[in-house]
Amino acid sequence: MTELDVAGRESLAQLLLSVADDEFVIGFWDSEWTGIAPMLEEDVATSSIAQDEIGHAKALYELLAQLTEDDPDRIAYGRDAAEFRHAALLNHARGDWAFSVARRYLYETADAVRLSVLARSSHEPLALLAGKMRREETYHMLHADAWLRRLGEGAPEGRERLAAAFSSLWADAQEIFAPLAGEEELVRHGFLAEPMGAMHATWQAAVRPKVEPISGSLPDAWPTADGRARRTDDFAWLHGEFTKVSGSEVGATW
Amino acid sequence: MTERVFEVFRQEDEGDPMIHAGNVNAPDEELAMHYAREFYGRRGESHRLWIVARDAITELDDPDLLKPPFDRSHKKPGGYIIKHKLEAAKQRAATEAGE
Repeated sequence: MTELDVAGRESLAQLLLSVADDEFVIGFWDSEWTGIAPMLEEDVATSSIAQDEIGHAKALYELLAQLTEDDPDRIAYGRDAAEFRHAALLNHARGDWAFSVARRYLYETADAVRLSVLARSSHEPLALLAGKMRREETYHMLHADAWLRRLGEGAPEGRERLAAAFSSLWADAQEIFAPLAGEEELVRHGFLAEPMGAMHATWQAAVRPKVEPISGSLPDAWPTADGRARRTDDFAWLHGEFTKVSGSEVGATW
Repeated sequence: MTERVFEVFRQEDEGDPMIHAGNVNAPDEELAMHYAREFYGRRGESHRLWIVARDAITELDDPDLLKPPFDRSHKKPGGYIIKHKLEAAKQRAATEAGE
């Protein structure tokens, strides 16, 4: 990478942190299904996908750590809950199976739009990583879509639970495209090939026709300024879980 | 959900034989494909998987057809003893060459 001014580097760091935290937190929420998913095979599949997401987070934290001369483990496990920058969609506990399916569907569709833009990033390490992540996320998307159809077209109870989950998650799902500090810098440098607003429009156009037949008409919704800063008690609990082991012996080598 | 059993075959590299890997329970072909990938491909160990519903497999396990009671040694390569014939043929060839 060529010499980068401070503002450019800070904006890139914010971008990497937002994507990494999304992957990290959804990975931990979905890993809460390990051992209790609807059937053994699904248990393995869900756990494996959750692990994939944490693997993506690891790769992104490593990119970020190179940029900011930090330690990826510290970024992942050494921050207070308030310092996380995942989208508000990922603030909620896993809920029932339909809730997790609905959230994964909203997340995977948004992530697909985001990755297609990141794969065109002028920051080459990010573009390469996004390209690799897309190959795996394609499969995650198919898996989420399979479950969406299964619950959406199956017995009324599944459909009703799915509809309730979509209604409750819809507003927070927009926050995946919440404006980032320094977004103008990101676009100017080509780190982001498209602004968040454009990605948001692309995602909504793709997702409404799939979700609304199940949820009914969803209201107009846009990302908000604090969409990646709001934290909840649910997340405070999860943060306590995923920092428990690393916090038990600070500075230990595992 | 009604589950069915799907048998999974895996190929390690292009051109290798498809070898039975095991099976998965799944409600249908679509999820069977996902589960087969997780059980038999998630570590990068497979080049290709075949996923077949067990009830689509035609099974033959009748001993009357597979282990018939009569001598079948003539159907095996070892059923013909060609050692002596081969030696005679070699000798003949050597004699002809020497003429």
